[in-house]
Amino acid sequence: MSLKRINKELADLGRDPPSSCSAGPVGDDLYHWQASIMGPPDSPYAGGVFFLSIHFPTDYPFKPPKIAFTTKIYHPNINGNGNICLDILKDQWSPALTISKVLLSICSLLTDANPDDPLVPEIAHIYKQDRAKYEATAKEWTKKYAV
Amino acid sequence: MSARTTPINVKVVAAESLYKRDVFRQPDPFAVITVDGSQTKTTKTAKKTLNPYWNESFNFTALEDSILVIQVFDQKKFKKKDQGFLGVVNVRIGDVIDLSLSNSEETITRDLKKSNENLAVSGKIIVVISHSRSAAGSSATNASTSSRNNTGSNGSSAGAPISTANGESAGSGSANRQYSSFEDQYGRLPPGWERRTDNFGRTYYVDHNSRTTTWQRPTLEQTESERGQQRQSTTEAERRQHRGRTLPGETPQSPDITNASSTVTSGNVTVNATGANTPVSPAAAVSMAATGATTSGLGELPSGWEQRFTNEGRPYFVDHNTRTTTWVDPRRQQYIRTFGPNTTIQQQPVSQLGPLPSGWEMRLTNTARVYFVDHNTKTTTWDDPRLPSSLDQNVPQYKRDFRRKVIYFRSQPALRILPGQCHIKVRRDHIFEDSYQEIMRQTPEDLKKRLMIKFDGEEGLDYGGVSREFFFLLSHDMFNPFYCLFEYSSHDNYTLQINPNSAINPEHLNYFKFIGRVVGLGVFHRRFLDAFFVGALYKMMLHKKVILQDMEGVDAEFYRSLKWILDNDITDVLDLTFSAEDERFGEIVEVDLKPGGRDIEVTEENKHEYVEFISEWKISKRVEEQFKAFIDGFNELIPQELVNVFDERELELLIGGLAEIDVEDWKKHTDYRGYQESDQVIQWFWKCIKEWDSEQKARLLQFTTGTSRIPVNGFKDLQGSDGPRRFTIEKAGEPNQLPKSHTCFNRVDLPPYNDYESLKQKLTLAVEETVGFGQE
Repeated sequence: MSLKRINKELADLGRDPPSSCSAGPVGDDLYHWQASIMGPPDSPYAGGVFFLSIHFPTDYPFKPPKIAFTTKIYHPNINGNGNICLDILKDQWSPALTISKVLLSICSLLTDANPDDPLVPEIAHIYKQDRAKYEATAKEWTKKYAV
Repeated sequence: MSARTTPINVKVVAAESLYKRDVFRQPDPFAVITVDGSQTKTTKTAKKTLNPYWNESFNFTALEDSILVIQVFDQKKFKKKDQGFLGVVNVRIGDVIDLSLSNSEETITRDLKKSNENLAVSGKIIVVISHSRSAAGSSATNASTSSRNNTGSNGSSAGAPISTANGESAGSGSANRQYSSFEDQYGRLPPGWERRTDNFGRTYYVDHNSRTTTWQRPTLEQTESERGQQRQSTTEAERRQHRGRTLPGETPQSPDITNASSTVTSGNVTVNATGANTPVSPAAAVSMAATGATTSGLGELPSGWEQRFTNEGRPYFVDHNTRTTTWVDPRRQQYIRTFGPNTTIQQQPVSQLGPLPSGWEMRLTNTARVYFVDHNTKTTTWDDPRLPSSLDQNVPQYKRDFRRKVIYFRSQPALRILPGQCHIKVRRDHIFEDSYQEIMRQTPEDLKKRLMIKFDGEEGLDYGGVSREFFFLLSHDMFNPFYCLFEYSSHDNYTLQINPNSAINPEHLNYFKFIGRVVGLGVFHRRFLDAFFVGALYKMMLHKKVILQDMEGVDAEFYRSLKWILDNDITDVLDLTFSAEDERFGEIVEVDLKPGGRDIEVTEENKHEYVEFISEWKISKRVEEQFKAFIDGFNELIPQELVNVFDERELELLIGGLAEIDVEDWKKHTDYRGYQESDQVIQWFWKCIKEWDSEQKARLLQFTTGTSRIPVNGFKDLQGSDGPRRFTIEKAGEPNQLPKSHTCFNRVDLPPYNDYESLKQKLTLAVEETVGFGQE
């Protein structure tokens, strides 16, 4: 099931690519993709291009894909290893979701962080207490690692 | 290394016609390549062949006089000293290639030679040795990290390093690094430790020193001896928990041995059996007390008793005191504790209940409930006419049922211990191997004799304590995921299921048969295993069909997706066919769920069939071979029709026993949603739990968490499908409804009942009536 579905998603992405994201297989292995996301203009990540690695489980789409940032990013829900805390990648996953939809959700996570369910509590704390400092650091990291 | 050394490349191509050391199996050969005894590389392991083809290249540095040694071993026997050896060749580099040239390449074929041990060896090995001055260094490290230890892990080395596009990662440093299996972002693991990822993507750690696995990352700060101590104290806690397990109607397995021996010293002991004060010889009394009154086999009969034989040669026993006869050896009695009206505990041997009164008969309903027929009055009753009525008063019906089933089960001739002894001698630190040899060489009939376990080098006769320890240790070792026979389910971190990839061990089916025998042996001899399976496996043992609900305990994420399919319109959303993809060591194989399934679309109309098929495949079909071997082994000791008396939850208790549950600890580590601990309903809830006995508590745990297992360090370590999940009580539902449970999240939905009585009644009903794991 998974291979057929992954091929279909790949074809759909080619036909109707989502704005500000792209994704595709790294090599011959269709279960391993790379994706990129443009930093949303209304966020401190604007101007940056962020890369992500995507690993599809054999049981896809019954199980969520494993997605992680490979570009360093300063964000309360993304940790130093690039792991993302996003409900649809965990218990809110449904087989109807696609890579395209997941990438769009990640985009909106960049615009609207969720500091109440943080993966990095220190960043969440700064986000809540000193928004300006958070934005400055996020911009700085974007410049340093994603431009 | 001195300046005159030259980089060389050694390609180990293949070997042929290796010596066949075992009659029934072929070796898993790998080669170890050493240059001058200081540079060592290892090939991957070829599977089950006498003609392995490796074709792997390794870089070394060498001199003219350097000696290249290639040894071939059988990976399966590598650990046993000298046993896995399949041959060696020694080559002087200067004899093959001329290092003074700028480059050269030679292919050589050499006969494999014996080592000093003089084990028989045959066959040849083919090697290509080359050197080239220009291509120095750089590629030297490739194959070197894959050691033979890695072969058992599936998917641990999750593919190639991520290619990090246009070099943007220059600054991102360690975040992008791919770690070898001996390190992670926190640094190196201690020596002998390896990091692996299981089928469900969870990281666990393998300790090759002690051949154990753990979820906790070991740290370098801890010394090996501290880790050893920690392991020991965990084992000790588990042992204590294991010893305290019981079944309803039986005394705990660890009565105070000291009590027993102190009574012995006083000479003759009288066991207070209601009705007949039967003097029992000291020897028999010790064994009864020490084993929780199960078996003795030997020793004198109590005074006034006599053993006789029927014409068919079947032994029976005459009690001249009461002028009765019985099939049951009075030395192997089972005692029921009766809490009499004046709260004194009376011990009552079950067999002393003796035959039913004349005209009575014990039968089973089609739901396997025991009932009694009184042919005199042509009536039936649930109540055992031999039991004092006080025993059954105020006890919920279902409790009496399980206890009765156990009594009925135990009373069956097929479960009677045969005359003679079954000796099993094992070394503590080789318990798995030794037990395998000892248990597989005996016939099932031999295994039904009185069990006499002996640990090598230890004193102590087996009056119960030794065999209890034996089953404790063995259950830890044989279910150890290290051996890849069983794995932990994704539901929590501790319930076990058959590893679909167990065929990595070519003898796995023999091992599953062995494990089935051990489980049967435990049930037969009334010893508990310290192991808990996923609910589905107990159902399979009862030949019940597995259904979607069983998936919840096996793989919660998969379960949620299947449930989503049933709850939503899948037209144009999912592209499924009646097939599944199975990953076998990196290779993906398509399997039809029904004939031609890969070409049959799953539609809104046939999706129920699909969900049924895929659940069945994922849980049982995929491990059919292994399960068959397991249940065959089990049925050699326990006939299927007898175990069918139980339901799957009862079977879990029969195999693992009932643990004493610490309600205070449970309460302390419980979370509330919509309730507060001070709420009246919650207070009633705990009041009710405290009034319950071990079996009812265990049933509530099964209902809520899917297993009666309690983490060894208490409820604080309770795991859900997504990591630690404390026991949770949520306010949900109407007072006229029953409580519901969500085993993925260890949660019970408790409606706000209006009074204590209705809470108790509803909770009891929910727990006892819902058979089948996973109540969503």
